[in-house]
Amino acid sequence: MNHSEMHLTTDEIELWSLGLLGAQRAFHLSDCSLCRDIADRERKVILELVQLPRFAPTAGFADRVMAQVKVPTPSGDWQER
Amino acid sequence: MAWAKAGHEAAFRELVRRYERPIFSLLYRMVRDRALAEDLAQETFIKVLNGIKSYRPEFKFSSWIFKIANNAAIDHLRKKSLDTLSLDGSPSAETPEQMRATSLQLGDKSETPLDEVESRELGTAIEKAIAKLRPEYRSCILLRHVEGYSYEEIAESLELPLGTVKTYIHRARNELRVYLEDRRE
Repeated sequence: MNHSEMHLTTDEIELWSLGLLGAQRAFHLSDCSLCRDIADRERKVILELVQLPRFAPTAGFADRVMAQVKVPTPSGDWQER
Repeated sequence: MAWAKAGHEAAFRELVRRYERPIFSLLYRMVRDRALAEDLAQETFIKVLNGIKSYRPEFKFSSWIFKIANNAAIDHLRKKSLDTLSLDGSPSAETPEQMRATSLQLGDKSETPLDEVESRELGTAIEKAIAKLRPEYRSCILLRHVEGYSYEEIAESLELPLGTVKTYIHRARNELRVYLEDRRE
């Protein structure tokens, strides 16, 4: 069995899902329905995950943090806030 | 980072601005409670910024801050699982009266506007599926596919062996796929 005939590893399937797998290994998917099926199902999950939004904390979050942080002065002393 | 270490408030604020969304998002998905996630995020930033002088530049700043945030979430979830009362009341309750007195009253909690926001934000099938994962799997999968960190960076950040991180992520994806396919059938 040459390299292009070997089934894709889990890592390779992840790379393919992210569009990062080299063409030579990706070519295996055109011939192997087993790998193609696994890869398609894996890609669906990964695409749902990468499209998840980032949430923001409520307004004024940074101010609330900074109110409790001791900012060191450039001289190295700590400045109580 | 050098600026922040040298003590410039603007640099501190820039670090908060840059990381507030990723840190808050991770914590929110870990604990599924907006107010609590914000408290934990605040705690994380305060710990990081007050300890900035101990930051070692050979490590990535993002690994450091995510490690502190993840530890805060895991500690909270462990504590919560210890504190959770059975629906049937305390395990030490011996009489029906004691069981009633120590049981959770499910009807007590009315829905607040914050609850509505949470159910809108975390109510999709993929968010519900993520919530079903073990916390260790959840943080790994979120760092990998939502934040885009490499396996090596996640291993460094969570102080786990690389092989463990790979296993957690592969298992998490398998479990998510099963949850999502069950929903579609």
